[in-house]
Amino acid sequence: MKKILTLASGLLLLTLVFAWWLNSREPKPVKLIPTLSGQPEYCITCHADVPEISASHPVVTFGCVSCHGGERLALDEDLAHSTMRGGANPSDLSVVEASCGGSNCHSGSEADDRHHIQRVMTSVQSTYAGAIANIRYTFGAQTDLNAHYGINAITDDQTKTDITSLFAFDPASETNPSIQKFGENCLTCHINATPREGETYDRQTGCAACHSTEQHTLATAIPYTQCNACHNRGNYDLRTMTFTERTDHPTQRIDDYYQPIAQFTQCEYTLDCVDCHTRSEVMGDGDLHASQKDIQYVTCKTCHGTLTELPLTKTLTNPNDIAFRMSFLNPIVDLKPGDTIIVTENGEPLWNTRVLSDGTYEMIGKATSQYFTFKPVIGSSCTQSGQDQSSAYCHECHAVER
Amino acid sequence: MSEISRRDFLKLARDGFLYLSGALTLGGLLRFLDYDPNPAPTTEFDLGPALNYPLNSRTLLSAPQAVLLHTENGFSALSLICTHLGCTVEQKTDGFTCPCHGSRFGSNGTVTNGPAEKPLQSLRVEVTDEGNLKLFTA
Repeated sequence: MKKILTLASGLLLLTLVFAWWLNSREPKPVKLIPTLSGQPEYCITCHADVPEISASHPVVTFGCVSCHGGERLALDEDLAHSTMRGGANPSDLSVVEASCGGSNCHSGSEADDRHHIQRVMTSVQSTYAGAIANIRYTFGAQTDLNAHYGINAITDDQTKTDITSLFAFDPASETNPSIQKFGENCLTCHINATPREGETYDRQTGCAACHSTEQHTLATAIPYTQCNACHNRGNYDLRTMTFTERTDHPTQRIDDYYQPIAQFTQCEYTLDCVDCHTRSEVMGDGDLHASQKDIQYVTCKTCHGTLTELPLTKTLTNPNDIAFRMSFLNPIVDLKPGDTIIVTENGEPLWNTRVLSDGTYEMIGKATSQYFTFKPVIGSSCTQSGQDQSSAYCHECHAVER
Repeated sequence: MSEISRRDFLKLARDGFLYLSGALTLGGLLRFLDYDPNPAPTTEFDLGPALNYPLNSRTLLSAPQAVLLHTENGFSALSLICTHLGCTVEQKTDGFTCPCHGSRFGSNGTVTNGPAEKPLQSLRVEVTDEGNLKLFTA
């Protein structure tokens, strides 16, 4: 009996030592109490090497859980990750409201211009409404070119356009085979679609599709290469309803920016897309639109004016002007009250521009920080009509030879 | 030195194993019971002798993140946590600026620029009978 007791106590001791050893091999819990939530979380026990996502979202303030979800107190990998929102991407549109929303965050009021999520959800980048309407009209599924369908069903009771809602587009319920093939092959570009396979299409979904230029990074300095993950990577063949990838492998920006068949002016390829195209054009203005043409409005004259008019400008006086907010988030230029910048026809600030004392203008590349000076049309030999502002007109004289 | 008998050796080993196992079990149990993964945040901070903070001084504190002011009216403190989303504001010559979203506050904590809407929180400071300062965040 005593031998058994000795043996049992020895085994117990061994078991305890083994348990202690196993426990000592586990990472020591590292606690973080973000000021935003005030609740401890242990994510950085394993994720201490993840870089800060942006200067606006420091981990000591936001922590991980407020955006990513997950079990904040768990140290077991599976349990900790079990309730994460959107997997590794909380900005996926299916979960974006829970992750990035909130009145102080990205679903604030329109008056404060903080309704980012509403804008993205209703933008043509998300609804793909124009492409769907065009294809359905072309193949006889609808009798007009109006937008009736979007990638997801959406309603906007306060829309300033004629479109108050879109039905969810369901290719399987279409009878025309071409529309079905369109559904199968041509829906990889809307902002929440899983991208095509291949390095050049590499992007995430939701907000991160545009704003995440590197791993675990959010930026407003978005280079054209980020846009190119969808734009300019190939063409859709409307006869076969298939995507034809670009066959050239451009190594220079001038070739990469546009497809070989396209014409462009120097500023169109030396600048990045976001240097000229505004927030509302790219992210939407909060209303449902039928197609890209209904939301995109910046043209050459926005910056260059016409034969009779200089570009619109504005002297910044209100410290709460959104131009300051934009330059704060991407400090390529030290914008101050009293500075004069170009504004678009809709009053959006091109905050990365300034009017110089000699009557010329300067634009600072949002992604490159390069300085570009340019002149107005007034006083030049240009004879362009102020009404003809589509790029083709300007390309007649200013297209770059390749 | 007397030789230990086999019986005594086994008894010693058994007792040793048992005591050690008991100690390990107790240690583990205490460690388990003592560990609080979700502790309540500290709301009371001892700032040491009030004499360390001379009249007309402004002292940045790291725990809690606050600025301690000593004026002719006595001691007071302002939280450096931005009232917008909780980032730590930075002290500038004319007040405070939030490095995250650009809110600005005057030197008395009032909002001069959004997106923050509320002033920086005033924190209660008390001088103890022993002449030490205590700061309360709640």
